Amino acid sequence: MKFLKQVGDYAKETVQAARYIGQGLSVTFDHMQRRPITVQYPYEKLIPSERFRGRIHFEFDKCISCEVCVRVCPINLPVVDWEFNKESKKKQLKHYSIDFGVCIFCGNCVEFCPTNCLSMTEDYELSTYDRHELNYDNVALGRLPYKVTQDPMVTPLRELAYLPKGVMEPHDLPPGSVRAGQRPEEILEQMEK
Amino acid sequence: MNPGIDLQGTFIQSLKDLGIPSGAAKAIWMPLPMFLMIIGATVGVLVVVWLERKISAAAQQRIGPEFAGPLGVLQPVADGLKLVFKEDIVPAKTDRLLFTLGPIIVVIPVFLSYLIVPFGQNLVIANISVGVFLWIALSSIAPIGLLMSGYSSNNKYSLLGGLRAAAQSISYEIPLALSVLAIAMMSNSLSTIDIVEQQSGYGIFSWNIWRQPVGFIIFWIAALAECERLPFDLPEAEEELVAGYQTEYSGMKFGLFYIGSYVNLVLSALLVAILYLGGWEFPIPIEMLGSWLGFNEASPMLQVIDASLGITMTLLKAYFLIFIAVLLRWTLPRVRIDQLLNLGWKFLLPVSLVNLLLTAALKLAFPGAFGG
Ligand code: SF4
Ligand code: SF4
Repeated sequence: MKFLKQVGDYAKETVQAARYIGQGLSVTFDHMQRRPITVQYPYEKLIPSERFRGRIHFEFDKCISCEVCVRVCPINLPVVDWEFNKESKKKQLKHYSIDFGVCIFCGNCVEFCPTNCLSMTEDYELSTYDRHELNYDNVALGRLPYKVTQDPMVTPLRELAYLPKGVMEPHDLPPGSVRAGQRPEEILEQMEK
Repeated sequence: MNPGIDLQGTFIQSLKDLGIPSGAAKAIWMPLPMFLMIIGATVGVLVVVWLERKISAAAQQRIGPEFAGPLGVLQPVADGLKLVFKEDIVPAKTDRLLFTLGPIIVVIPVFLSYLIVPFGQNLVIANISVGVFLWIALSSIAPIGLLMSGYSSNNKYSLLGGLRAAAQSISYEIPLALSVLAIAMMSNSLSTIDIVEQQSGYGIFSWNIWRQPVGFIIFWIAALAECERLPFDLPEAEEELVAGYQTEYSGMKFGLFYIGSYVNLVLSALLVAILYLGGWEFPIPIEMLGSWLGFNEASPMLQVIDASLGITMTLLKAYFLIFIAVLLRWTLPRVRIDQLLNLGWKFLLPVSLVNLLLTAALKLAFPGAFGG
């Protein structure tokens, strides 16, 4: 009897396993008829979201060499090279650099800079052949990235959060379709009322 | 049964008519089917590689290969070319001979097994009376090659990987052979032609899958494990497990293992189609169709149609099974080695034994339906 029960249990488990495999197969089979959601990268790019933290932009003339950015940085990363100018009795900035091979893009420096001379851009294409090339000096930091939406070589695509409700795929959105939720301007308008 | 098309006979006869002695005519004929076999198997592999990449892309809502040729059909060719031009590294202090022989021994038996795959009444390279037996014997050579390449790599992990691969191949060989045995018992023959012939009576209803559903499932599982397909690809999970038998291989030698496993997949699918899905038979018996449409049974037109339909049907059935294998790959997680061996020895083996005994009993009880 015990043996028979064991065999019965085993058979039951087997049938269950077969059922699970069948369910799994039906899920994969169902996926086959969905459209691919691939973004074909060099030709199509996602528009980075509003708060995307990309490469940092730096404006040389606004910087007062206070080194707040160095202090708030988790790893004291920005290198502020200044000299005291005796005539104007002010610190004079000579060089400024951030090594993006080390930076974690936390945005602390941007948050705390008293003169707002640091800002986040939407540039994420930072690959180089040599990681020392990622050490950007103040000239490189001052360059603005090219916007995805203005690049004639690139089809800009909206990210999932910026699509209308129920739409999963950015490829053939009708023009003028609005994303779910309110835009910042609308929220501002409401607040002013 | 009508004899159908006899390519060999007509070829040799036409050469003889040209004044070539019959021995020479036979010698000219001989390399043709061999080349045909190799080319057919290679093209089959290219198609499977492309299908695999496209289907897996579809299952994951990706696009898959696109740029090499229309819809990426040349992608497998490009992959193969890349492998050919890669440097062939032989690690220090390996047994060079065994290291080179290993992949060859894995690949050659698989290609040889194509000898017994029939695409029609006479569209088979060698109609030997022990066809299926030959295939099982050939497929048990592969573990030796795996073990050899694992051993000769001068790397303890490769050796372990080789042992693992051999253990897997051996433990799945037995249920495979047992389920084939049940088929052989039902059709009173080991020849692939006879096995298909025996399933041809009533179209789709006389296929072996209805009489041997358990055997069909066991055979397919064991065949997947033999080809080292997911979910049984423990021996060659290169990226994840690191220590397969082919860790030390590079370039075309590595490619040979790959070709071997894909050729084996195509072969297994073809054999499942032959053993269980009625081989080249159309779901409706072709003679019946012919007589409905008023064709003369022996007319050459019908025979050509019959032959091409046979090839198409065999390929369709085989590629349907390959499609299922690809779907399975993206559905099931990989099994652990102990689960693998448990499944082989504790589940498939007893079930296939019971299946064999049941078939024998049914054959005695209902000789009409189960091939007395
Ligand atoms: S983003 Fe963070 S890690 Fe990078 S420089 Fe600024 S504070 Fe340092
Ligand atoms: S916090 Fe801003 S102003 Fe101060 S040194 Fe850094 S970049 Fe310059």
